[in-house]
Amino acid sequence: MERRKLASAAMFLTLAGALLFMPPIASVFQVHQRVLGLPVEVIYLFVCWMLLVAGAWWLGRQLPRDTGESGEDDG
Amino acid sequence: MLSADFVIATGIGYVGLLFLIAYVSDRQARRTQSSFLRSPFVYTLAISVYCTSWTFYGAVGSAARNGLEYLAIYLGPTLVFIGWWFVLRRLVRIAHNQRITSIADLLSSRFGKSSRLAVLVTVIAVVGIAPYIALQLKAVTSSIQAIAGGREFGQGGLSGIDEVGLAFGVAAGMALFTVLFGTRNVDAKEQHHGVVAAIAFEAVVKLAALLAVGIFVVFAGGGFEAIFSRAEAAGVDIYSTGTFDDRWIAMNVLSIAAIICLPRQFQITVVENSDENHLRTAAWAFPGYLLLMSLFTLPIALYGLTTMPAGANPDMFVLTLPLAADQAGLALFAFIGGFSSATSMIIVESIALSIMVSNHIVMPLVLRFTQGRGVGGGQGVSQLLLNSRRFSIALILFLGFFYFYLTRDSDALAPIGLISFCGVAQFLPAIIAALFWKEASLKAATASVAVGFVVWAWSSFMPSFESASPVVAQLMAEGPWGIHWLRPEALFGLDGIDPLVNAVFWSLFLNSATLVIVSLFTTQSVLERVQATVFADLFRHPGSAGRTVIRGTATSDDLYFVAQRVLGAERATALFESAGLEAGGDAREPLPQFIDRLERELAGSIGAASAHVMLGKVVSGDAVSLEEVLQMADETQQAIEYSLQLERTSSELRSTAQKLEEANQQLRELDSQKDEFLSQVSHEVRTPMTSIRSFSEILLNEQRLGEDERKKFVSTIHEESLRLTKLLDEILDLAALERGERGDENALIDAEAAFDRAIEVCGALARQRGMTLTVGERCARAPVMGDSDRLCQVLINLISNAIKYNDADRPRVEVRSVTDGEEYRIEVADNGPGIVKGERNLIFEKFARGAAGNAAQPGAGLGLAISRQIVTRMNGTLELVAGAGRGARFRITLPLAAVAAD
Repeated sequence: MERRKLASAAMFLTLAGALLFMPPIASVFQVHQRVLGLPVEVIYLFVCWMLLVAGAWWLGRQLPRDTGESGEDDG
Repeated sequence: MLSADFVIATGIGYVGLLFLIAYVSDRQARRTQSSFLRSPFVYTLAISVYCTSWTFYGAVGSAARNGLEYLAIYLGPTLVFIGWWFVLRRLVRIAHNQRITSIADLLSSRFGKSSRLAVLVTVIAVVGIAPYIALQLKAVTSSIQAIAGGREFGQGGLSGIDEVGLAFGVAAGMALFTVLFGTRNVDAKEQHHGVVAAIAFEAVVKLAALLAVGIFVVFAGGGFEAIFSRAEAAGVDIYSTGTFDDRWIAMNVLSIAAIICLPRQFQITVVENSDENHLRTAAWAFPGYLLLMSLFTLPIALYGLTTMPAGANPDMFVLTLPLAADQAGLALFAFIGGFSSATSMIIVESIALSIMVSNHIVMPLVLRFTQGRGVGGGQGVSQLLLNSRRFSIALILFLGFFYFYLTRDSDALAPIGLISFCGVAQFLPAIIAALFWKEASLKAATASVAVGFVVWAWSSFMPSFESASPVVAQLMAEGPWGIHWLRPEALFGLDGIDPLVNAVFWSLFLNSATLVIVSLFTTQSVLERVQATVFADLFRHPGSAGRTVIRGTATSDDLYFVAQRVLGAERATALFESAGLEAGGDAREPLPQFIDRLERELAGSIGAASAHVMLGKVVSGDAVSLEEVLQMADETQQAIEYSLQLERTSSELRSTAQKLEEANQQLRELDSQKDEFLSQVSHEVRTPMTSIRSFSEILLNEQRLGEDERKKFVSTIHEESLRLTKLLDEILDLAALERGERGDENALIDAEAAFDRAIEVCGALARQRGMTLTVGERCARAPVMGDSDRLCQVLINLISNAIKYNDADRPRVEVRSVTDGEEYRIEVADNGPGIVKGERNLIFEKFARGAAGNAAQPGAGLGLAISRQIVTRMNGTLELVAGAGRGARFRITLPLAAVAAD
């Protein structure tokens, strides 16, 4: 991905996280049922969380690094 | 069995261990630049100071009471770190560039280095954090009590000491510990490597302890499924019905604000950051840490609810569950974990707050009373700073204890923490504006923070004293002076919603609205404008950060005097030597860049506002004020614009000169053409004149000529005069055409009619010569703008040329005309000798004849030149087009008149 697209990807990952954690999307998973013995919404929140962590890990490696410290000077 | 004495001794031992870690890592950090202390993982673990005893104990209590709701406190920070590229990266970069020391410093620096705003932010932070400190004291106190239990043995030395006494003891111990721990020296950038290392260690301890308890509970409960099933059977709502409501959103917003605005988070994430790229790791590792911390919260809560006796404090399940199972070792580990999370929070929070208090409240006061020279005496400002920090730490812990004392009847931990979150969240609008909105002004920021603080104090902070004060209780029930819509938990009549949502919404809404509206109606000072640009254009002009702030002159000596007082002799000397100045006794004037750098170094110790005031007083002698600097910048700008204008004018002049040059060249060419034309005309005229002269002379001198001969000579003279006259006519004609004299206005004519006439005239000529004039396709009507006679003249010229010069065996001339809606075209083609390639451009010149048309041919060679002139005057073209076979093909193209349609 290009640099600008990466920054956009980071933005959209954050927005996606915010949307996934909030109603109404989160409310969709309140179905009073259990998967693997755990309530669906619990599984849902933790899975989303893990996906975000994985996404942030990937983006952290991809996002461009600043070469040198341009703000630090005259030192 | 555990006793209170034992766990207190363990706690003290643990604190000793922390000291050791801090001491060793401080020494190591000083010796080497690239130790593991500067690794991104230590940084991430230090950020985990976010997980306090609220997380360790309170989250379980929160989960037991409100189900999944506890997660909101960790999802907000997760989102902020996932989006580190947009907010945290900016904060870290700004803090590095501007040597920011705290959140108050950040806001003050952005809004024109205002001391007043810094004081306001500091006061709000100190007040807002008090409940949070109280929460830690309460948690530690409760955990000690939980271990001691009601048993005589367990209480040990604590017997006879009540909860308040114990909390006071904890607060005093913590204060002493933090003072010893955090204020050993005033660091250049307010970075505390030792503290960070100890906090990172504590992060590992509390995570390990919580995971240990979690795993124990899952084993004891027979797995996740069994725990959930048993809880459901016991009537617990395991599905957390209705979790995702307005309260959920409010808590997420609060936690997003808290991870940015909490003084300790700002301290660790932004100020202690030694490398911007550490954020890359923290971006996923910190959310991962939070996830691990919350993994077992729900099982622990549910297991506690089903196995512990009714009425047991769910906040202490982490501790009481192992105790109930007689797991003394695990319980001790859990206690250490909780103790860890409380101490790390108190240490960092009070260090961060004490820096704010000393830099933004004590320093400005000192500066005011000592006319900017700092205090006299040996260690000067650094000693004063250290002392004021020590005092602030004690004050902050005492405030925490005081809050605890007043609200000791409330039992849950999480709601206390949320009060603090809501308090510090009032900085968020100003911070976001500082980072992204250049127009936000100091007055607006001050007003918005103040409004937010007042609303928070009214709707969130004050209600927590309900149980302690009957006055507050009455206010809450009826509103002040009976004004119903001012009731703290139902502001503006917004009844029936959660009190937390009420406080969060109104405080942040009024806060942001004030910020926007006041910004729109106030103007920024010059320094504000400069700083706003530095902040908002952070990544656009990275090199220009913090320029043009203090400009002026001061002797190196004066500056050294100031620097030594703040930074201490050693660092000041190093700083001056690195700039090539002698420390002391040097009367030279340092460069403005050096003053700038010195200001930032000072700001790293005493905050931007104080550093600005302090240096401003030293440099002010004949200093240039900022307004003057900007004025000068404006003038420079004007000069630049003026010179640009000059440049533009001179380039215009250059192009004019070039045009003149070209015109001159053209004139010269025309002049030479005219000479050529004249000589050609003379030549053409001379030939018939010569023959006329010679024949006239013969007639005059020879008397013996016969009548026939005489007649022949006279007719030759006549012919030559006719030819001469025709030539002169043509020349006059051409000259008139070229000058545009002939008043031939173009009128609407039918070109086809002119064409017909020309064909008629030339048909006779062709028959004379015994050749055919073929008329090809014709179009019906061709309305064009032109002169009918002239067009006819051109056509006759073309057709007769085609007839005259045709030497083919079966000579043939073909004419045709077409229209294509826009243009009218006439073509005259012959099968004569044609025009050789090299002459195609020349035949339209004056006196040019085709190669075949040599002297033997009649005509002066002006016909085509005249024809082309005529056609050009009708806005058409006359050209020689490449034919398919032998012969020449001329084409006249004329634009059809617009009225052609009807």
